Amino acid sequence: MISVENLVKEFPKKDGTTFYAVDNISFEAKEGEIVCLLGVNGAGKTTTMRILSTVFRPSSGTAKIKGWDILTHPHKVRENLGFLSGDTGLYNRLRVFEFIQYFGRLYSMPESVIDQRMKEMAELLDMNDFMDKKIEFLSTGMKQKVSIVRSIIHDPPVMIFDEPTAGLDILTARNIISFIRSCKDRGKCVLFSTHIMREAERLADRVVMIHKGKLLAEGSLDELRAITNQTDLDDIFVHYVNQVNGENEVQAHEF
Amino acid sequence: MSSKILIVYRKELLEVLRDKRTLFTTLLLPVILYPVLMIGFNAIMTRQTGVLEERGGTVAIQDSVQNEISMRIASELSQIENVTVIPAANNVQSLYLSKDIQSIVTIKDSVDVSGLRKYHTYIQYDAANESSNHIYGKVSDQIKATEHALIEEQLSNRGVSPELMNLVDVRKRDTADSQKKMGMLLGMFLPYIMIIMLLAGASIVAADLVAGEKERKTLETLLVSGVGRREVVIGKYLTIITLSMLNLIINLFSISFSMRYMLSRSGLDMAGAQMPIKAILILLAAMLPLATLYAAVLLSISTFSRNMKEARTYEQPLMMVSMILAMISFLPAIEMSNLMAIIPVINISLLFKAVMINDYQVSHLLITIISTLVLDVLAIWGTIKLFNTEGILFRSDDDSGSLKGIKKNKANFFNPYNGLVYYTIALLLLYYLGSYLQQQDLARGLVLTQLLIIAMPVLLIIRSLKLDGNKILRLKAPQLKELLIIPFIAIPAAIIVSLLSQVINTIYPFPENYLKMLGGLFKMDLPLWGSFLVIAVAPGICEELMFRGFLIRFFEKYGIRASIILSGLFFAAFHLDPFRFIPVLILGIILAYLTLRSGSIFNAMFSHAINNGFALIIMTLATKPFMKFFVSGEDSLHYWLAIPAVIILAWALYMFHKVTGGKQCVE
Repeated sequence: MISVENLVKEFPKKDGTTFYAVDNISFEAKEGEIVCLLGVNGAGKTTTMRILSTVFRPSSGTAKIKGWDILTHPHKVRENLGFLSGDTGLYNRLRVFEFIQYFGRLYSMPESVIDQRMKEMAELLDMNDFMDKKIEFLSTGMKQKVSIVRSIIHDPPVMIFDEPTAGLDILTARNIISFIRSCKDRGKCVLFSTHIMREAERLADRVVMIHKGKLLAEGSLDELRAITNQTDLDDIFVHYVNQVNGENEVQAHEF
Repeated sequence: MSSKILIVYRKELLEVLRDKRTLFTTLLLPVILYPVLMIGFNAIMTRQTGVLEERGGTVAIQDSVQNEISMRIASELSQIENVTVIPAANNVQSLYLSKDIQSIVTIKDSVDVSGLRKYHTYIQYDAANESSNHIYGKVSDQIKATEHALIEEQLSNRGVSPELMNLVDVRKRDTADSQKKMGMLLGMFLPYIMIIMLLAGASIVAADLVAGEKERKTLETLLVSGVGRREVVIGKYLTIITLSMLNLIINLFSISFSMRYMLSRSGLDMAGAQMPIKAILILLAAMLPLATLYAAVLLSISTFSRNMKEARTYEQPLMMVSMILAMISFLPAIEMSNLMAIIPVINISLLFKAVMINDYQVSHLLITIISTLVLDVLAIWGTIKLFNTEGILFRSDDDSGSLKGIKKNKANFFNPYNGLVYYTIALLLLYYLGSYLQQQDLARGLVLTQLLIIAMPVLLIIRSLKLDGNKILRLKAPQLKELLIIPFIAIPAAIIVSLLSQVINTIYPFPENYLKMLGGLFKMDLPLWGSFLVIAVAPGICEELMFRGFLIRFFEKYGIRASIILSGLFFAAFHLDPFRFIPVLILGIILAYLTLRSGSIFNAMFSHAINNGFALIIMTLATKPFMKFFVSGEDSLHYWLAIPAVIILAWALYMFHKVTGGKQCVE
């Protein structure tokens, strides 16, 4: 459902050189699978996800979401994609149902379908008490629920979560985690990014490790454990980072 | 697609109308403000006049004549209500200074050659003091009345009818009806208020719509939803237009009602004046394009800004320029013309004035609307471009624009901000120092301007920052091939540009003294080679160093094409001459292209010198018989020359492009 091929994203730096935020990354994520994009801050996770969700255009390479190319069919990509990040803002002056309706309409959904989906989701996430409230009066947890409904109102087959628990309290974060699991249970393809190893360990079917824009390793946890001879994901990650740095040192000596 | 624009539009409108701040400033404030201002002001005025009247004052009389007539003048002054008259004592001036008395009337007399005794009254008063002013009015009225009575008595005594005094009288017959009078009053200051209101109303909303979304981190959510960026931009754009027009309508009606109320209270004859509904409707139609233009410009500012505070800061220059342009309606004797009709803001302001007195031309209305719409389309196109530029939409919080950043990083010296500062300083130097030098002695002044103001600062800056001058200014020897093509570019370009000036001259004739000044340039008291040095060689070298060598470097981060056009615009503006703006702009663009394409500034210098020299040669040779073929009249070229000129220019540019191919354009 998600296939990324040789993705590169360059940003010009002020001193005239080029900064490679994403440097030749390829990976895949299938139906009913949770793939975790794991890396420290600044590794290129957000940039990768912004490219996948058509906010950025890649400098080279491409990606497909449910078979639609992000470059040639961005509109189709967005229709098949739900996007959620931890620090998303909401339109405070709208009421909850107005907010969800707005995004439903932007996905060209018929009013009756929007209403029905909204009712279902409100029931499921226990939101009926505040559907008529203005968003500015909601608590953080309530707001996060609104964001969740917004991201899946059009029932997309692919979900992308960019650091979904960043900045959230434990209880709200748990809600998000269980929501991600439920997405998998309903057969969706899920890509989520985090720098928290525990979260990746608990959720991911497969892990894609990136560091300084480059792909470090890819595989299921068991595969990675077998290759590196480590049990803890922390140690596996450090192992790979050291490997890259080590290689660089060798290269530096050769000059 | 259009339905999504509507969805965005409806949602934005709903959100904006729920914002109490916006509601208050755009809708409620105008409804309250004008009645309170005008009616309240009126009431206070009336009350204050009453207070002055009641307070009255004291007048001291210095009567140095002391006869029947002077005493009568004095006694009649004491009849004035609320005024006490006292004879002047020695301390009269100190009483006046301490404001115990408000006025001193001195009566003197003289006898003229025919033996007639005349009386002179001097009224000493303080024009800056309300009470004193008030008393002055009453005293002088009373003295006039006394004079009138005295003359009448004298005439009757001599057996002449006092009616002789009214031999010729003046009666006004004003053809302006009260409708027009009200229109003129409104037309004076309404345009100014309306334009400012329009901008103020729009800017509140605009800053919120994109910069606000960035600040609240909702923009990314919107971009990953099912809507295209163009639809987002247009939906938001329509929201701003709606709000600013709504604001305008409310302002217009509120102001008209209050005005009318105030005028009718102030005793002006407004009995027949109706609300100029038709005029207001025409004005709204004319204001609509301006509203769309402002909406587009403000939206692009909002898109460019990182947060709302920044957006409000960037809006300030637009506000200042608009205020200055809008003030044109206060100036007397500036009327609408075709030229005025294409200048944004000014056109609306003048049109407004004309419509209010019902004296306007439909053609002006149309030119105003169309020219504003053209700018509008450009602005909205630019905004959509901005919206598709990742670097702008997701600008990080680095401050490459601030002064601190520049000092810190010398390599970063060439940024647009520094470029603007440098350009502004050069422009000010040119305006003050340059025109001063040229007034002293034209030829010497021109050369000094080129050397001191244009070339030297460039070299000094490069030296003081220890930069590599050869590399930055592209002081690299050109290829022979390139140099050989240059005349085929420079001469046709000079012809095209001259013809363009002639066309502009026929549409908007240059003012007489402007032509005289320009002609003076070619009639300096110099031998031909001297003129050639002053007019062609010096600008060729110095202006190229500044514009194509130095200034263009500041804008490189916008890409080759944009920096060529920007440097052209700056070059054209530097000539401080609106009549030649477009011709000079074209030249500047060609010269910048030559430099960047070949990597050598000498090509542009050569071309520049040929171009300026060409005009000199035409002026010098114009009277020669063989030139008749090219030149008609004193110095205008035949229009047919445009055809070979365009063909040769196109061919030469193509050749230049070819021989410079494969080279590094921008280093």
